[in-house]
Amino acid sequence: MRRREFLTMAGAAAVTSFSIPRATAQVANWPERPVRCIIPYAPGGGSDLIGRPWAEALSQTFGQQFVVENRGGAGGMIGTEAVAKAPPDGYTLLATPGATLTVLPHLRKAPYDATKFVPCGRTGDFVTGFSINAQVGPKTFAEMLDYAKKNPGKLSYGSAGLATATHLRLEMLKFKAGIDILHVPYRGSADALNDLLPNNVQMMNEINNIPHVKAGKLHLLNINDTQRHWDFPDIPTLTELGYPDSDVPIWYSIQGPPGMPQEIAEKLNAAMVKLAQTDDMKSKLRAVSASLPVQSTKQIAEFFAADSQRNADLIKAAKVKLE
Amino acid sequence: MALDGLLANLALGLSVAATMQNLMWCLMGAVIGTAVGVLPGVGPVATMALLLPVTYVLPADGALIMLAGIYYGAQYGGSTTAILVNLPGESSSVVTTLDGYQMARQGRAGPALAIAAIGSFFAGCVATILIAAAAPPLTRLAQQFAPADYFSLMVLGLVFSIVLARGSIIKAFGMVFLGMLLGLVGTDVNTGNLRFTFGISDLFDGLGFVPLAMGIFGIAEIIANLTNPERRDLVSSKVSNLWPSREDFRRSRGPILRGTILGSVLGLLPGGGAVLGSFSAYTLEKKVSKTPEKFGTGMIEGVAGPESANNAAAQTSFIPMLTLGIPSNAVMAMMIGGMMIHGIIPGPQVMEQRPGLFWGMIVSMWFGNLMLIILNLPMIGLWVRLLLVPYRLLAIAVLFFCCIGVYSLNNSANEVLFIAGFGLLGYLLIKLDCEPAPLLLGFILGPMMEVYMRRAMLLSRGDPWVFFQRPLSFAFLILAGILLLLVVLPAIRKGRETAFQE
Repeated sequence: MRRREFLTMAGAAAVTSFSIPRATAQVANWPERPVRCIIPYAPGGGSDLIGRPWAEALSQTFGQQFVVENRGGAGGMIGTEAVAKAPPDGYTLLATPGATLTVLPHLRKAPYDATKFVPCGRTGDFVTGFSINAQVGPKTFAEMLDYAKKNPGKLSYGSAGLATATHLRLEMLKFKAGIDILHVPYRGSADALNDLLPNNVQMMNEINNIPHVKAGKLHLLNINDTQRHWDFPDIPTLTELGYPDSDVPIWYSIQGPPGMPQEIAEKLNAAMVKLAQTDDMKSKLRAVSASLPVQSTKQIAEFFAADSQRNADLIKAAKVKLE
Repeated sequence: MALDGLLANLALGLSVAATMQNLMWCLMGAVIGTAVGVLPGVGPVATMALLLPVTYVLPADGALIMLAGIYYGAQYGGSTTAILVNLPGESSSVVTTLDGYQMARQGRAGPALAIAAIGSFFAGCVATILIAAAAPPLTRLAQQFAPADYFSLMVLGLVFSIVLARGSIIKAFGMVFLGMLLGLVGTDVNTGNLRFTFGISDLFDGLGFVPLAMGIFGIAEIIANLTNPERRDLVSSKVSNLWPSREDFRRSRGPILRGTILGSVLGLLPGGGAVLGSFSAYTLEKKVSKTPEKFGTGMIEGVAGPESANNAAAQTSFIPMLTLGIPSNAVMAMMIGGMMIHGIIPGPQVMEQRPGLFWGMIVSMWFGNLMLIILNLPMIGLWVRLLLVPYRLLAIAVLFFCCIGVYSLNNSANEVLFIAGFGLLGYLLIKLDCEPAPLLLGFILGPMMEVYMRRAMLLSRGDPWVFFQRPLSFAFLILAGILLLLVVLPAIRKGRETAFQE
């Protein structure tokens, strides 16, 4: 036993001491070959809308292809797990919404340690708010609250699935405003929208509602963000409505696998910060109703921790459970 | 007003379908379809299953145009071998062998082939217009569907698929339920519980549709074909005098028209489709004929009717898929798989959100039919030569593409193992005389039904009466009940059995 342990340790030490110089050279020259960006969802979803323009821009910046690979399944856990287990050499990255790292682990047994991922850069936040089918009646946030209080349990809300940010957004609203709304989980937000439009469910909180808000079929009640939406300057934010710090943001980032050298993260971050300030990137993201926060890796790590903590607190306080 | 809208939609479709790229995909689909139609033992379902992963790299419209082309292309190809060598390339052209091959033996292969193609083309044109005209109102109706209505409609669909399955009812029941059970694997949407996953992360989102379909349809068919000795008595009869006579045309006019109408209606039914269309059209022609005893001796009516019907049905079966997102047969289940791969959730919203894709696909069907008739009539000799490819070589190529295709879908080696497993299961089912189509429908519809049922119950706050209170839902359930009762009654069951034996 002892002997085997010793041998393993010695072997590990030998490997480490041997690989350090090579690793440093690799880090300095990164990227020397194509980089895989794994999106932990099926193609065509919101992650694609944000991830694909970034992959294109990064390919141009670095002169190496950033290849987007969709590995959907289990609410994002399968793709995220694949990156967690990938070699931390900077050639496999995760392009993910916050939920797989800051929501899922609080509700399910995740096969990875979310805190160990190496943040590289923010890729965009979806900006939207609660919307309600126009057939219901209420046109503003206050009217909706009033309606919900007078008709407890009558409103239903469609989410993109259990343990997603859209699910927590409802829990947050119910908890903070003290109202009763039925949660109906769907397989993705497109599926939920199908039931929202004929008023089978009455409310949602997703970017795919925006075209229908513009068409008058839905009323947008608020904006989740701290700032108003460029297309809807008259709609107040949750903070303005008296609910500060009550959003569960849908924020996207590129994360490296646990153990990836910080140098690679910084190199990527520098490039992303520069790209984020170009008009081209801004307008591409605005087109899909996303804003683009610019943050250093340290700021992202802080934001990440705060987001995760707030979600954990909410889940505990509102007693959100998956059976 | 309605006509204006229809024309505008068709114009939009034309602008999508007539691009060089999409015309190419359409041609490719039609050619592949004809090839698999000619080859017995390789059906459109298996082919589409094989090509699903390939379409991943195509744009969504091109992919769906090609997949659709394979389906109606196969209807053309199947009739060619049925007439020339008495081998139905497709199950939908089984009845064409009855009179078509007899005509060929009398040296009238040309007119038989030409009438089959012309009838198919006419039916294809009518069905295309029908889809274009019927889709918008049906879609508007579908947008009013609540979860309870969807659930009941799916119950009806599954009952139909049992009624229309060939062979024993008990086995068809069993297949539907087995399919539903397989569909239950994965994460429960409402609670997040994992079911039957055995800790394998590839199963967390359920069994993949592509490995299942490829295994049960593709691999199993190959094994079954290899166990049968090759039977290729190629009568390389010269196809001369292609053009039918004036008399042939006169005799075919009625059957083509009747076949088109009958096929169009049967294609709409859940569980229906091309096979049912051709069988029923043959029976109908025999019934209305003044000389029914002559059927089977080379009557052109016996070719014209079924061939028009199978093509019409092949196309109208797109209607429930496009407007409701509900597959009426295994091929439509494949189309749904193709849409999902491209992130399109089939349902009434497709027409609104992706009008270019929707109308492009419909208009491409007309182009496809035109290409088929122009390409295939002069090339019939060439297609028949395909039968000379030894099956043992074909089988290996197909297996090879299956494995690569499945692996490339999710980069998962487990899924390659799944197709092997499903291949064995499929072979077992063939040996047990169990039709796999109801299984596939159960697999697709089962989980959808569960989701809709539980959603309906959630929205009704646990009140099961919701299924009976909504008029649409109630009507569907009543219909399903009546059908089930009818099929269980001994007298009707006997009638059904003789109908399928014919």
